[in-house]
Amino acid sequence: MKLLMIDDDTGLCELLTEYLAAQGFEVVSVHDGEEGLKLAQQNDYALILLDVMLPTLDGFEVLKQLRQTKLTPVIMLTAKGEDFDRIFGLELGADDYIPKPFNHRELLARVKAISRRIEHISSLKINATNKLHTYGVTINLATREAYINNNTLTLTGTEFEILTLLCKNASQVVSKEQISEQVLGRRLAPFDRSIDMHVSNIRKKIAEYLSAERIKTMRGTGYVFIQGE
Amino acid sequence: MFSFKVNNVSNFALLKHPGHYLVFKIFMWSWLTIIGTVTALIFLSNIAAISVVSNEPLYGPMKKNLIYTAKGIERSVIKHKHTISETLVHPRLAKRKLLYLSTEQQDVAITSKDVPEDIDLSLLNYTKNMAPQMIFTEKYQAFGPVKIQLPDATFYLYEINISKQPPLFIRLKLMPNWLKLCVAIIASLILSFLFSRNLIAPINSLKKAAIKLSAGDLTARAAISIKRKDELGVLGRDFNSMANQLEVLISSQKRLLADISHELRSPLTRLKMATGLAQMQANEASQTYLLRIEKEANQLDKMIADVLQVSRLEAKSQALSLQKQSLQTIVDHVLNDAHFEAKQNNKQLAVTGDSCVTINCDETLIASALENLLRNAIKYANNTINVILKHTDTIVSIQICDDGKGVPNNQLDKLCEPFFRHSNARDRISGGTGLGLAIAKNAITAHDGNLILSNKIKGGLCASITLPIIKE
Repeated sequence: MKLLMIDDDTGLCELLTEYLAAQGFEVVSVHDGEEGLKLAQQNDYALILLDVMLPTLDGFEVLKQLRQTKLTPVIMLTAKGEDFDRIFGLELGADDYIPKPFNHRELLARVKAISRRIEHISSLKINATNKLHTYGVTINLATREAYINNNTLTLTGTEFEILTLLCKNASQVVSKEQISEQVLGRRLAPFDRSIDMHVSNIRKKIAEYLSAERIKTMRGTGYVFIQGE
Repeated sequence: MFSFKVNNVSNFALLKHPGHYLVFKIFMWSWLTIIGTVTALIFLSNIAAISVVSNEPLYGPMKKNLIYTAKGIERSVIKHKHTISETLVHPRLAKRKLLYLSTEQQDVAITSKDVPEDIDLSLLNYTKNMAPQMIFTEKYQAFGPVKIQLPDATFYLYEINISKQPPLFIRLKLMPNWLKLCVAIIASLILSFLFSRNLIAPINSLKKAAIKLSAGDLTARAAISIKRKDELGVLGRDFNSMANQLEVLISSQKRLLADISHELRSPLTRLKMATGLAQMQANEASQTYLLRIEKEANQLDKMIADVLQVSRLEAKSQALSLQKQSLQTIVDHVLNDAHFEAKQNNKQLAVTGDSCVTINCDETLIASALENLLRNAIKYANNTINVILKHTDTIVSIQICDDGKGVPNNQLDKLCEPFFRHSNARDRISGGTGLGLAIAKNAITAHDGNLILSNKIKGGLCASITLPIIKE
């Protein structure tokens, strides 16, 4: 499995490459934003680790430009405590974030969670007619695409997973804990707002084609996909 | 990096012009007060004294002059056999001011010239039996009477001076005493008020700035006009330049701490990574040391995070992500962890009351403030930690008390300073970074709340938090 790491800390890149190689990942590392963006656009990586502070093009800009053409999963490496970075990254379509200085085990766990998901999907590709129809929203699990009245929704991997989970459990409340564990592959940390950010992104994208609200917030418990009017 | 423009030359040396000295100013103002009072008196006499009809005994040269004129008329009539009318129009007298002769009869009188219609000289008839007077009325002043005894008649001579105003000195003298007193008091009051305000205003502004500055607002400056050249103006500007210096020094010290902490993160990340790699290949014996390295690295990480949080909060650069929130949710979550932590330390955590109110807050910050206070209480408590939750319509209060030794009263204020530890031996056994209370204090203040630390009478430290509630 091939990962792209975009970080200007060369020492960290070396160590991380070695560490992840030992875990069976192949890591390509670049140290500036522009070069990283070019590589990310030209190749299909399983995952991109993206630092915020970068020379030539900062992490947010890289993510923004990448998202115009590609939905490669992205984990942002943010500085701890910079809440704004975290939220902004998720808004731009990052799949997850991990604050620096990070614990190597935690990083590995997140990388594995995302790669597991990808493996799971490729196994699904075998029966290509795996489609999910929920009121107004069609989800093709094989091609990983979602439609509303034949309009394609451009969702990131995480957003797609969350929407799928909600549609599968339509009319039932799905708690934030469930979403975090099943989609992000980690336990929900107290006061973590990343799930809310992803859901709000999905809502915005659905709202482009559907006037009725599909995903409802259940205060304090989670979210529910509403069926019917 | 740290080069400051030091201006040690006192601005007092610049006081060259005597007009800039305060002494001169005080003198000027008291002088102005006197002048002002007199001016006010004069002005008022112009308006007020006109309507007064009054008289004063005549004396001095004016009296002599009048008597001499009377003698002249007597002589002219008796010796030179002129009639009284001829005498009055004689150029020697006629060129003088208006003369008025009244007789014993009320309605007979002679004047040397025509009298304007609006002037009523008959008033003077009532003064015939008096000694010579100065008589002031609205339209004219009269001097007289002087008796002229002729063989066939008796006349009373008055010299009339038609004028709009009696002389200034007379007018002042004529003013009623209460009015004089009032004018003096009011004029001096107004001027003294202006003077003292001019003197006190810069002192007050200095006082306010000093209070703000000592309360930690480094941007506070005294509002002193640049035009003010006296000692107070100079003092104000010296104070402001001192405050500037202070602001630069303190902010650069804080920035330095934040910058260093930020820079420490990159090598720390690499250290953790390298430790992770080493752990993969290490044998049993080195594994313990590597775990120790990892633990210390984590401790360092926590400290850096705390330093950065405090400096962000102090610099108010942390944009609070405020949300309407039930405080109880946050409190419950924090208390859950605290119960667990207390149990591990064989201590009791007792909670009374509730905090089911909505507040506008950044939940992570409020939670970290509460966590820090609770952890502190658990650490220093002997047996029990009491948490008391209360709320009114406008305010919610959370009190966290332990039953430990407490803190000497003189150190209570310092507890919330970063890295302050109340036991002078900075014992690491107690753990923590020495930043917990600083974070709590700053987090609560950022929410317009208050954190007060106090000692219980029976011993033990109490932390009282108050936060404003949103009205719904």
